[in-house]
Amino acid sequence: MMGIDTKIKRGSGELAILALLNQEPLHGYEISKRIAQATGGVLQFNLASLYPLLYRMEKRGWVKGKWEEAKSGRQRRYYHLTPKGKKQLAPLRQEWGMFFQALHRIAGVAHAG
Amino acid sequence: MPDEQELIKARLGKLGLGPHREEEIFRELSEHLADHAAALEARGVAPDDAAQGALDTVSNWPAFRNEILSAETEEANMNYRTKALWLPALCALTLSNGLVALMQIFGHPPDSYWLGTAGWTMKVLSAYIVPWLILQSVVGAIAAYWSRRAGGSVRYQLLAALAPAIALLGLFVLVIPISIMLKEHGANHIRLSAFMIVTVVWVLLPAVPLLIGAAPFLRRPQAQP
Repeated sequence: MMGIDTKIKRGSGELAILALLNQEPLHGYEISKRIAQATGGVLQFNLASLYPLLYRMEKRGWVKGKWEEAKSGRQRRYYHLTPKGKKQLAPLRQEWGMFFQALHRIAGVAHAG
Repeated sequence: MPDEQELIKARLGKLGLGPHREEEIFRELSEHLADHAAALEARGVAPDDAAQGALDTVSNWPAFRNEILSAETEEANMNYRTKALWLPALCALTLSNGLVALMQIFGHPPDSYWLGTAGWTMKVLSAYIVPWLILQSVVGAIAAYWSRRAGGSVRYQLLAALAPAIALLGLFVLVIPISIMLKEHGANHIRLSAFMIVTVVWVLLPAVPLLIGAAPFLRRPQAQP
């Protein structure tokens, strides 16, 4: 599978993270694991690509990291979706839906939305 | 498990985001690395190889560092040193010198009748120097507290609190040698004596109440659990 361009990856990563955190708070490693699982490995985030994205989203007030005890008993920094982040989710979904529709029209790229 | 936090610190270096935030980032990244290494181990990879494999997922550490800094400063242009050191130090300096100015404007100078006598010196001390020195403790407290609230290290808190004394020391260290070099008025020993006196009155004496005022607030910024 070809790698996805960094900017597209970053943009889609924001949507993926917001959508995941809308279900439940997760720590960084769990976020990267869930994204990889849910996209069949098409979208993968490692240490270097995930955390700058999370920190940027945190600075914007979309997510909030809090140290909490994980099931393993270790303290992990769990990211929670903030009300501001929740508001971002719908427009981002719409934007990406439009993006894939446009690609579909011009290049026959199918989209799931 | 290998100390992932140290491995990350060695690769990223100091981020200049303040000790608390830096520690938090290093800790969070090390937890991620530990999880990744554990997942590799669960797939049968040897522990050392797993730790190395987790580290190798980052191909360019300097670029990663820049990405973190860029993300962290996206909406906070003022850097850590400005917030935790320069602003509280400038506030302390302004307050300290502002107090001198206010006391000169609103204070009651001793009657010139006393000029040149020990009584005059005592009156100057009681009218200006002692109240000013007492107020320096408030200045030191404000600067240290401000620096601590901004996430400043104990060193930054101290430097911010002592800023008025440090600034004047710098000024004297600069001015007196120049004055000696110019050799316009008076003998060098007189200039040196004057230097000693002004250093004691304007630097060492205020440094004591500045430190006393700052002392209750000198604390490492709180780290999250």
